[in-house]
Amino acid sequence: MDENVELDAWEIEYVSYGGEQHLPLVMNLVDQELSEPYSIFTYRYFVYLWPQLSFLVLPQLFHFQMVYGEHRNTFRGYIVMLVVIKPYRGRGIELVTRSIKVIMESGCEEVTLEAEVTNKGALALYGRLGFIRAKRLFHYYLNGVDAFRLKLLFPRSELHPSLPMMSDKYESHMQSDHGDAPFKE
Amino acid sequence: MAEDRSLPPRASIPSADNSVWADVSPLLQAACQDLQEGELIHGDNFNLFAAMSALEIMDPKMDSGIACTYYSLDEAIENGVAPVPISADKTTDVRCMIDIMDHLLACEATWHKGHSLAQTVYSCLYLLRPERTSSHALLHSYCKVIRATCKAILSVVSEARTHEEEDLFTMAYGLPLSGNGDEKCLSMLNAVEETISRQLRACKASSSKRRVSEDVEPLQNNPDLEEGYCKALLCRLRFRKHFYHLLMSMKRPQGRGLELARKHIASCISEIDYIRKSSEFLRANAHGMSEQNIDNTTASGCQPIGFDASLNCRLSAPTPPRSIKILSLEKALEYFMKLLQDLDVICSYSLDPSLEAALLFVIKFQKSQPDLVARAHLQLLLVQDGKLYGRDPMFSMITRAAGLPEVTENHDIQKNEFMVQLGQLVINLLKILCTNAAWQRRKLGKMLQDWRVTYVQLEMAFKGEFAEASKTSNNKKICFKIYQHILAWVEEQTYWIAFRFLNLGFELELYSVHDYCMVYWYIYVVLIKLAEKKHLRMAMSSDSAKKKTKKKRDSFKDGEMDYQIPAAVLFLQSQIYLAEGLSMMFAALRNERRIVPLQSPFNTEHEIFIQQFELLQKACVPDHISYVTFKESTMHANFSTLAICDHFKEAQKIAKEVKSSFANDPDTMAELRRVEQVAERNSIALNVCRAGALDPKLKTFFTFCHHPFYATAIVKRS
Repeated sequence: MDENVELDAWEIEYVSYGGEQHLPLVMNLVDQELSEPYSIFTYRYFVYLWPQLSFLVLPQLFHFQMVYGEHRNTFRGYIVMLVVIKPYRGRGIELVTRSIKVIMESGCEEVTLEAEVTNKGALALYGRLGFIRAKRLFHYYLNGVDAFRLKLLFPRSELHPSLPMMSDKYESHMQSDHGDAPFKE
Repeated sequence: MAEDRSLPPRASIPSADNSVWADVSPLLQAACQDLQEGELIHGDNFNLFAAMSALEIMDPKMDSGIACTYYSLDEAIENGVAPVPISADKTTDVRCMIDIMDHLLACEATWHKGHSLAQTVYSCLYLLRPERTSSHALLHSYCKVIRATCKAILSVVSEARTHEEEDLFTMAYGLPLSGNGDEKCLSMLNAVEETISRQLRACKASSSKRRVSEDVEPLQNNPDLEEGYCKALLCRLRFRKHFYHLLMSMKRPQGRGLELARKHIASCISEIDYIRKSSEFLRANAHGMSEQNIDNTTASGCQPIGFDASLNCRLSAPTPPRSIKILSLEKALEYFMKLLQDLDVICSYSLDPSLEAALLFVIKFQKSQPDLVARAHLQLLLVQDGKLYGRDPMFSMITRAAGLPEVTENHDIQKNEFMVQLGQLVINLLKILCTNAAWQRRKLGKMLQDWRVTYVQLEMAFKGEFAEASKTSNNKKICFKIYQHILAWVEEQTYWIAFRFLNLGFELELYSVHDYCMVYWYIYVVLIKLAEKKHLRMAMSSDSAKKKTKKKRDSFKDGEMDYQIPAAVLFLQSQIYLAEGLSMMFAALRNERRIVPLQSPFNTEHEIFIQQFELLQKACVPDHISYVTFKESTMHANFSTLAICDHFKEAQKIAKEVKSSFANDPDTMAELRRVEQVAERNSIALNVCRAGALDPKLKTFFTFCHHPFYATAIVKRS
């Protein structure tokens, strides 16, 4: 496939994790692209507890998972895995952007992830979105490579009186959020 | 799948008295079919989070049992993987012995670089059964010294342990680190070395046609190769001997073995040179089995006998198998040269009973980026039994650093709980500074709050103790002075830690270009406080010294001497101007839209500021500093104003003036030179920016070619 071909938007479809039938697809993609080994229980941990925070882009183009939970009195979103098949590199930012919006709207205060210090593409992508490199982790990966821990802190609405739209959205979301509402397009 | 009935049935586990084995495969299959999609059957205590550490059988990345050669050490030995002798032919035996030595050295270097002992050094099957090699004196003695060396290094790294970097390094499950009599490895090694030395002398005598003075059995059967093989073995044995001696010398408490250690370091370096020189001979005699490959782990280029990395991998498998690439012999020798050089720097240190000198030494040492083993040795030298160098009590080091006279070293005040706590903080600081840069930065950031809390507690104790103005005794005055000096020093030290924390961010590449403005601004405010506290502390010390002097000179009745700003404070002043200049330059570039600001859809510069300086803000380092202060300082910066009050020119001027004060301090001189260079170039860049205000083709870039963390600006037409 010619990598220079501009893909039309309609060729990409974002879907939430839909159940067991997606698991082999996800596992296969991640195993191909990432150097770290993950057992099936790693995937089950995330998709069982937070199925609404896992996304696939069909057909078989992207996989993305994230979770959020309490972290030292902070609600933290965590990007676990992001895989983009080579022909579609460069389109990952849409998937990440979409996911971060969901994290933000669910009431998290921040998002975090780790990336290899040698992964220039990922570092540039997350850097453009406002992530800082909070820490460097010595020999974090099994292959001996260091990692950066990347973090994005969301604004607190009370600190931004000049952002009424954000504030309104945030407050209305908090009022309507019952915790179990599944993510819907 | 159809079962192959021709295969003999595998021996099953025999039934016990009251139980019988039954095949439940069909039952399991039926039960699984009844499960709903995504359903799991598990015990009450099961949780998916813990299960994430599970291995998965038949997955090549996780299952260490896949693609194995042998299932057990016994099986490998039975199949001749590690024969003793290595070969019945003596010449081949010697050649293979040298290959084993070389590969072990490569494995050792790979281990030091952060891989497991089991998959590196102990992939050598000869090490795993110590008694097996006893009939082969050379092999046996070499294995003994390898085990003893590994044990010694493990001991140092384990003792110096501060963080998880060492976890993999120090894992040694069930490996035989001590064989019988390994503690006498040197006497056996010496015996073998003596034998080979005599063999070398014998063959040299023989080659010069003179009569052999003694009846010495040759090393191997080919007279033409005798000299080459003897030399190749001797340099490797001698390296082992001196390296082990080096470790034992450095182990002696209070640095008493450092001088002897330096001699052994020199000997090791010499033997490495001989090892390199032996390569040509060994390659020439490899009988075509040699491959010309930069990744060779042996000098001969041959594959060594007796190694199987997958064996231990299977035996010690709570973690997924790592794909380890053993360093080449050349890379291993480079590693050991670096290690020896780093250890030599440590052994050359004067053990100056000064906290400031110790801190400066560690910082300087870390600039050469020493590996784990060298850093562990330094840490153990600095801190033993809670004392500096195992010799100088931490409280007396603190009083000295705070500029107090020696009589205060044994004062009772050191028993105060907060003084004890302060001593512990200093110990922790020294240890943390000896770790890798990534861990160092995290811990320095966190310990700022501890230093701040200790300062506040000492201050409260100080005020509480001197609230009663009625009592005035001589001891009271001494206590007052001690508190005053130590409080000033603690604050200074706190800002020193903050300064190092911020600098390490550059070394670790934690900052993006968009962060530089706020980072240099924060460095600027921290440096102001650091200079202020240092000045205060030095002034107090100076006052104390002056009073002493005055008593001796009562008869002269000198007038008050003109007080000069100390050179150390001026040095900081030049950096303050440099940091402020850089911060304002970045601000001007942003305000005049010559660099595109970061436009995140999710947050703003404010959140980035909060995140970057979170640990310093929590520790009130400094107090009353916030994002608002930062914005107020920088929002009006522009090039017209900056060129008028050129901070870079000021920095350059001070750096020039203060140089003469550091004539005896080459390190500070070098640092001043770097500051001067950056300041000079940035001043020029500043003027170019101002002059070219209307030229859209002018672009400003930043490089760290002159200084590790003060950027040099370069203006170019694009």
